[in-house]
Amino acid sequence: MAEPAPAGPTADQSGRASRQRGALSSLFNGSVSSLNALGSVWIFFVMILVNCDAFGRTLFNHPVEGVIEIIELSIVGIVFLQLADATRVGRLTRSDGLLNFTLRRAQPVGRVLGMLWEILSILFMAIVLWGSTILLIGSIENNHYVGADGVFTFPEWPVKTVIIIGCAATLVQFAVFATRYVRERPQSTQDVSDAMPHSQMDEA
Amino acid sequence: MTGIEVGIASVVLIVVLIYAGLYITVALGLISFVGVWILRGDIEIAMSLLSLSVAGTVSHQVFATVPLFALMGLIVSQAGLGKDVYDVANHMFYTVAGGLGIATVAANAVFASITGSSIASASVFTRISVPEMRRFGYTARFSVGVVAGSSVLGMLIPPSAMLIIYAIVTEQSVGHMFLAGIIPGIVLSIAYGFAILLMAYVAPKFVGGGDVGEGNEDWRHLSLRDVIRKLMPIVTLVLVVLGGIYGGVVTPVEAGAAGSLAALIIALARRKMTWRGLWEVLVETGHITATILFLIVAASMYSRMIGMAGLPTLFGEWLTGQGFGLVGIMVLYVILVILLGTIIDPASIILIVVPLFLSAIEGFGSSLVWFGIITVVAAEIGLLTPPLGISCFVIKSTLRDPTISLKDIFTGAFPFAVIMLLVLIVLIAYPNLSLALI
Repeated sequence: MAEPAPAGPTADQSGRASRQRGALSSLFNGSVSSLNALGSVWIFFVMILVNCDAFGRTLFNHPVEGVIEIIELSIVGIVFLQLADATRVGRLTRSDGLLNFTLRRAQPVGRVLGMLWEILSILFMAIVLWGSTILLIGSIENNHYVGADGVFTFPEWPVKTVIIIGCAATLVQFAVFATRYVRERPQSTQDVSDAMPHSQMDEA
Repeated sequence: MTGIEVGIASVVLIVVLIYAGLYITVALGLISFVGVWILRGDIEIAMSLLSLSVAGTVSHQVFATVPLFALMGLIVSQAGLGKDVYDVANHMFYTVAGGLGIATVAANAVFASITGSSIASASVFTRISVPEMRRFGYTARFSVGVVAGSSVLGMLIPPSAMLIIYAIVTEQSVGHMFLAGIIPGIVLSIAYGFAILLMAYVAPKFVGGGDVGEGNEDWRHLSLRDVIRKLMPIVTLVLVVLGGIYGGVVTPVEAGAAGSLAALIIALARRKMTWRGLWEVLVETGHITATILFLIVAASMYSRMIGMAGLPTLFGEWLTGQGFGLVGIMVLYVILVILLGTIIDPASIILIVVPLFLSAIEGFGSSLVWFGIITVVAAEIGLLTPPLGISCFVIKSTLRDPTISLKDIFTGAFPFAVIMLLVLIVLIAYPNLSLALI
């Protein structure tokens, strides 16, 4: 739900072009996109699974075992696989009217403000990461699992690991944004993100 | 500081930070974390509460409705079903004054029953109906205004992302919330229709249009067979989704999955879905899911924090103690939601404001389902009002027409925002409109 910025040339065209270079940044972007792709496939899988269960139960009186548990784990997995990419393309919800106004009218103030918000976001993700790591260690040590014994069980640690990977990638993404406020001269928050000029919805 | 002071300071700080441009999720999560830390005087409690929220909040199958209905909405947007409904609606209404506008509202109402997002509605109908209305001499402002105004139906008529979010926050049944949205959605559509008719007579310069003359548009000469052929896919999808839920045959999660599969089959049959298209739809679905559900994670941390501070109970007692009564509280609530709606998106408003008022509303024995419908309609008024009316922004970016400014879109949408407010008052006065189908 990012607000589309007014159309027009932006001052950081060169900044955008130079972002494509650098092995490290392309490796990171590639990883984030792969996580995202995995999440997208997973959504499709859940859709098919729920249908199999519903049809199997009503038509053949034969539900799929453990569907509820799989859905519950899947939702968490999907969210954290997609989080970094949603952040990268500027989809994380924010009300950027005032910030964009400041960026256009008082560049230095706007850039400091924009960078401050990215730093707070890094801090938040760091806290989440720390807490989630404690949870992961706990669930490995105590062999936590979901589901009912003898019917369907699945260990907790894989999803907990996905949470950590997703949060770490999102943290790095915020750090990338923070450096862009330093190196570039963004006119809006959209310039800072890797937002497509026109989303696919426009072409639908 | 007492617990209450910490609670109040946190809420104020969150709103200020959101205004200043911090990500809403981060504002909610970070400030709530600090709030809990101060309240309990122990960072480890705050830490474990936060990480449990992260791992546990969305780990429930009801949350699967968010990606599944988003997926369905995106697939039907690609399948070209909106155009078919609009053709049929034009065929029905084109002889009436303001007819193409009324047709846009009608088509949006039908389309809303298979999508859950006002954003999707706004972007689909900007492409379908704005060019058609402009061609028949409707003014730019009116054309975009109708699209903006009727796009809000997407989030009111089930399936609806906002109704799902409200159901999750207040622990109501998603199925009940869906059913409750039907009549208010129809009432709002009819109110829009009559208002357009009225505007066409009272303010013909604002509306434009008028003479539809002779022409060979494909919607003008539709046989009954054409109408049936064009409506068949949508009727099928509505039956799958609402019929299943209403009949109690399927859960909302299953309805979303079955609806997505049916929509995909229809899109494939019509040759409107490529592998690339499907991939883009899935990626978009993922972005919507991550954004909304991570927001809900942060909001659950927030509601735990204000609960710990005792804020909802105290706020509820204070409100009733002031002798406001239910009507007074609702007036206050609606004003607050509309004000926040000028800068914050509807989902965030629901997550921030509803937990504060819940205890007061429950105290009056009012239905939380009804309160949800009021909340969603009030929050959606903000989609049409400056400075951050999201529907208007979507129309602007979809339109790519430099001659139509954002100001034109807001001006065109204004009468529809006023009608929403009037309908909202009716919905508050007559709770049965929301509750009759449950």
